[in-house]
Amino acid sequence: MDFLMSVLESTIRFAAPIILCTLGGIFTYKANIINIGLEGIMLFGGFATALILYFLGFYWLSVLGAVMAGVLVGLLFCYFGITRKGNFIITGFAINLLAMSFGFYTLALLGRTDIPVVRHRATMIRLDFPLIRDIPYLGRLLNNHPLFTYVAYFSIFIVFVILYRTRFGVHLRVTGESPEAAKAVGLKVDRIKYIGVVIGSIFVALAGFNVTLEHLGTYTPVITAGIGFIAIAAIYCGRGSPGASSLYAILFGLMRALSVRLSLMIGAVAGLFQALPYLTVIIILAVVAIIRNQRTNVRSYTHE
Amino acid sequence: MDRDGRIMKVLNVLLPVFLALLFGAVFIAIAGENPLTTYATLVQRSLFDFRGLMQTLHFAAPLILTGLAIGISFKAGLFNLGVEACLLMSGLFVAVLGFRLGHLPSPVLIPLLLGAGILVGILTIIIPALLKAFFNVSELVVTLLMNYAVILLVMYLATYVFRDPSRGYISTHVISSNAIFSRLFGTRLTLFFFVALAVFVLAFVIYKYMRLGYEMNALGKNLQFSEAVGINVRWKIVTIMSISGALGGLAGAGWMMSHAYAYTPWFSTNPGLGWEGLLISLLGSESPLGILIAAIFYGALKYGGYTIARYTSVPSEIIGVIQAFLILFLSIQFIRRHRLLDRFKGWFKTDKSHTEEGA
Repeated sequence: MDFLMSVLESTIRFAAPIILCTLGGIFTYKANIINIGLEGIMLFGGFATALILYFLGFYWLSVLGAVMAGVLVGLLFCYFGITRKGNFIITGFAINLLAMSFGFYTLALLGRTDIPVVRHRATMIRLDFPLIRDIPYLGRLLNNHPLFTYVAYFSIFIVFVILYRTRFGVHLRVTGESPEAAKAVGLKVDRIKYIGVVIGSIFVALAGFNVTLEHLGTYTPVITAGIGFIAIAAIYCGRGSPGASSLYAILFGLMRALSVRLSLMIGAVAGLFQALPYLTVIIILAVVAIIRNQRTNVRSYTHE
Repeated sequence: MDRDGRIMKVLNVLLPVFLALLFGAVFIAIAGENPLTTYATLVQRSLFDFRGLMQTLHFAAPLILTGLAIGISFKAGLFNLGVEACLLMSGLFVAVLGFRLGHLPSPVLIPLLLGAGILVGILTIIIPALLKAFFNVSELVVTLLMNYAVILLVMYLATYVFRDPSRGYISTHVISSNAIFSRLFGTRLTLFFFVALAVFVLAFVIYKYMRLGYEMNALGKNLQFSEAVGINVRWKIVTIMSISGALGGLAGAGWMMSHAYAYTPWFSTNPGLGWEGLLISLLGSESPLGILIAAIFYGALKYGGYTIARYTSVPSEIIGVIQAFLILFLSIQFIRRHRLLDRFKGWFKTDKSHTEEGA
């Protein structure tokens, strides 16, 4: 029971940044853009968080910094991918490398191996709900998480509302599904894509904040550990629906939690267990694709 | 391709290089050094110095192979980003075999190990290749995630299974001297560079004169068309991904036998020879000759990065920054259609009707 509880509790924590990344990526997915730069945007978010906390030390300023980092990198992606009509797979990849190399360069200049923000964890906001706290088991699972862990789960609802219940959401989806139709009814396609990507990037950058401060308490250029790519797999499996994709994100969070918990128990082969989440993501991705392929039942090789 | 198209292509590569160096200069200035003298040191040490030039070629050797590996898959419209994984797997297994089979004489051992590297590379990439070919699973996502799994797997093997306990850090046993490419002319250059060069020639011939080259191009341009004219798309995908993996594996084997000599966590350097291959294939606009030139250029940048770290206070991580900017600028075409070229032409007063080809 204790093992189960600790796995479930870790799942809630590990899934939070994956959900944020997934939701952020959905905005670009809906605009029919593949953004493989999620990893980089998240890393920039974490970088801004760590720098602000390390040098200035204000909690809300670091949140703002992460958001600003998201906006700026989102705009950079848009300028290259949309305005200049670049190959956005390569643009996204460049953003990933940019985020990493900025980090490594800054660390080399500072002469450090990481930027620790552990001492600021005392000032970070945790939510304590008296009502939930007293429920046996559930209280331990759901209560007293850091603020942005809750924000992640609440965002599933927010993103659903933005995409399906607002004018902007309709415009964004039309733009992605049929740019000609969108243009024909007079929508400013590029501007809608810009807004979509930038909103998405804010969610992704907050995932960086979440990992840097609320989980690890430190920044290195490898903290994202493939979460951005796992999120892309989640989006693909859930076909860009906020609910379904987030469920996959939670499933992948569970895999991560399992691998961490199991490796704590087992010891030497721990290294191998860390590979488990990535392998399961690949397997799930393959299974989903195989099932989908059987349904479409086409004569020849088709490209999506 | 017409002359204009070629000029445009060259400009589309030179401009990003210039811009990336410009942005890199800002970062050098942040480190408190003069960018101009820093770049001068870099060029001087890595190109205008015999030993330095040989170092540059030595660093270029694996990059030619990883550049071709990624270039070939991109040409066919396949985003194989698992070259890094192939390279790491091959590096580890060649390190182990190079130690265990050390009693074999060099003329047998070296080809054997290169072959083993190729095989490991193919085996690493075969699963994403089959998934893509038969179930249309995005090879981009699968190969990217596979890299993480492979890094962890290889680290585990190097730490617990094949570790040389006599060394103070994570490392396999050093390979036998029979497995090492000997140095040429008393410089850092080894025969491995010429192996890479031979592969380049082979790739050039395949691209230009062989059916596979045509099919690759067709696949990249239009899948439905390719299938309609009778190309077996599924097996072509598997073949091309396998070639890509094989080249990655060969790069790993060669780098192990010409530079690293034992598998350590920093075997593939930072950010990784496989990733650098992506940059090189973009820089060389996916053509073998372009890739060769780009690899040598990047080899100079890389070796130059180490020298400026030694002679100035700029960390060698600057190369990563320049590289990232370079990829960013390479993702767009600076000169589209012939607008800017028309202006050039106005100056030189040549009148030739231009086509949209290559735009």
